[in-house]
Amino acid sequence: MDRITPRQALRMVVIAATALCFLMPLYWLTISALRPEADIFRFLNPFGPWTLIPNQLTADNIVGLWSGSFSRAIVNSIVVALVTVIAGLMVCASAAFALAVIEFPGRGVVFTTMIVSFLIPFDAIAVPLYSIMRGFNLQNSYAGLVLPGIGNGLAVFLLRQFFQGIPKELREAAMVDGMGWFRIFWSIYLPLSRPALVSAALIMFIFQWQAYLWPLLIAPSNDMKVAAVALAQFSSAYNVSFGLIFAGAAFLSLIPMLIFVFFQQYFTSSVAATGSKE
Amino acid sequence: MTRWSNIRVAALFLLPAVVSVVLLRLWPAAIAVHQSLLAPRASSYSLENYLYIFTDPSFLNSVWVTLLFSFIINPLQIAAALGLAILFNNKLPMTGFWRTAVLLPVAIPQSVSAVIWAVAYRPDGLLNSLLQLVGIGPQRFVTSPEQALGSIMLVVSWIGVGYWMTMLIAGLQDIPKSLYESATIDGANGWHKFWYVTLPQLRRPLTFVLVADTVANFLVFAPVNILTGGGPQGSTDLIMNQIYTNAFVNGDQGSAAAATVVLVALVLVIVLIQFRLMGDGSER
Repeated sequence: MDRITPRQALRMVVIAATALCFLMPLYWLTISALRPEADIFRFLNPFGPWTLIPNQLTADNIVGLWSGSFSRAIVNSIVVALVTVIAGLMVCASAAFALAVIEFPGRGVVFTTMIVSFLIPFDAIAVPLYSIMRGFNLQNSYAGLVLPGIGNGLAVFLLRQFFQGIPKELREAAMVDGMGWFRIFWSIYLPLSRPALVSAALIMFIFQWQAYLWPLLIAPSNDMKVAAVALAQFSSAYNVSFGLIFAGAAFLSLIPMLIFVFFQQYFTSSVAATGSKE
Repeated sequence: MTRWSNIRVAALFLLPAVVSVVLLRLWPAAIAVHQSLLAPRASSYSLENYLYIFTDPSFLNSVWVTLLFSFIINPLQIAAALGLAILFNNKLPMTGFWRTAVLLPVAIPQSVSAVIWAVAYRPDGLLNSLLQLVGIGPQRFVTSPEQALGSIMLVVSWIGVGYWMTMLIAGLQDIPKSLYESATIDGANGWHKFWYVTLPQLRRPLTFVLVADTVANFLVFAPVNILTGGGPQGSTDLIMNQIYTNAFVNGDQGSAAAATVVLVALVLVIVLIQFRLMGDGSER
């Protein structure tokens, strides 16, 4: 791509404009978090230069956010997402490995079970699942928040597809060398599957970071509330503090933003890889 | 045979996933069916809960609202995702960054998105002041029975469209370049290429997006719960909000379970129809 034609330039402008429409609410969220609370609504209507450019910056909202109970909720959210992704990757990758590589009787049945499990919408079974978890006394616990995110049928499916694409010869050679199934899984399949593992991790991260109904049901106590629930309750509370709401919302958007920007490298590298093949 | 000797090691690899899927997905689904068949304050099976919800005007209203919502939002979102995918599928500088920007809303907690949009939709909010710029008077958005469902659709689309776009871009990149080259030799214009090469080649990812998007839109909850609570006048009372209200506001577990079963059945039927229509079921 040495020279950009006018047509391509026009396309770039359209792309940027479209993307900016998607970014607009987030941009506005961020500047609102950084301006004095009184300014958030003062310049909103009618539309003027200060609507989108903060005339005064402050860290008050962020400081206020972290000194209140919200900091605990953010820690909860991070712990839940992190534990889910780590445990979920181990559980789903090993299941996917068995389904893709090991031949055993009943494999079809197990695979079908996995597929059916992700066709059942999770939010739709949240209420009966809540009664099961209550039976095990798992309300207001990390286990109650994390467990439903670990056995992810979609992640198993995705990883299995990827594992199936790894040449059979590799594991046959490894078996001749006397490697067991576990070594083959750990030192051949996992290192070769980084892009698929990243995608599976993203699926599980989004599941937890997005979650609202389930944490609302299982962990309503002040200590165990996740950030998404805590934030929604800011606005229904008596003294609505929009400064805090915006600061909390900006923080909750910042974390996935950083993760996406970081993994963008993986996306571009895979695009580069397909480019070199042509 | 070695296949039988593999069963122990396979079980070891599979056990955690199978246990969690059975315990945390299939069992609660079975419980929902079981609960829905138990009449309130009775121990024998009956269809009372189903008879009740199908005569309950607020449940019937939520089914109607959900169907209306699906019929409008799914085609719009898929068309938008496809348009965006075609626009964003290139190697121009910065495109990767902009693509990430469009994808970003999906990872933000829905409660956050709902709170942002709640402020944007206020009478003195950002949207009204933008409309004023182009000479349109103030709109009521989520407080108007006519506009509320559309306002929810806008929020849900802002959240989800980038995700479906990403899936479709992956599909577009799998289409062999040679197909377009031979179409060019045959004298096809851009529209012909889209219709005779892109769309047929995209059938698998499109099927996936169609099905997954439909399922996701049947389960919209947080934006409704936070922005409108199902109102005004029940105009945004999607089934998930109805189930939540039944179970946790009215304490009526039996009819909540029956409504859940109806919802899952509805989703499965529609998913099956879509697979049929896309002709994907016979292919595997």
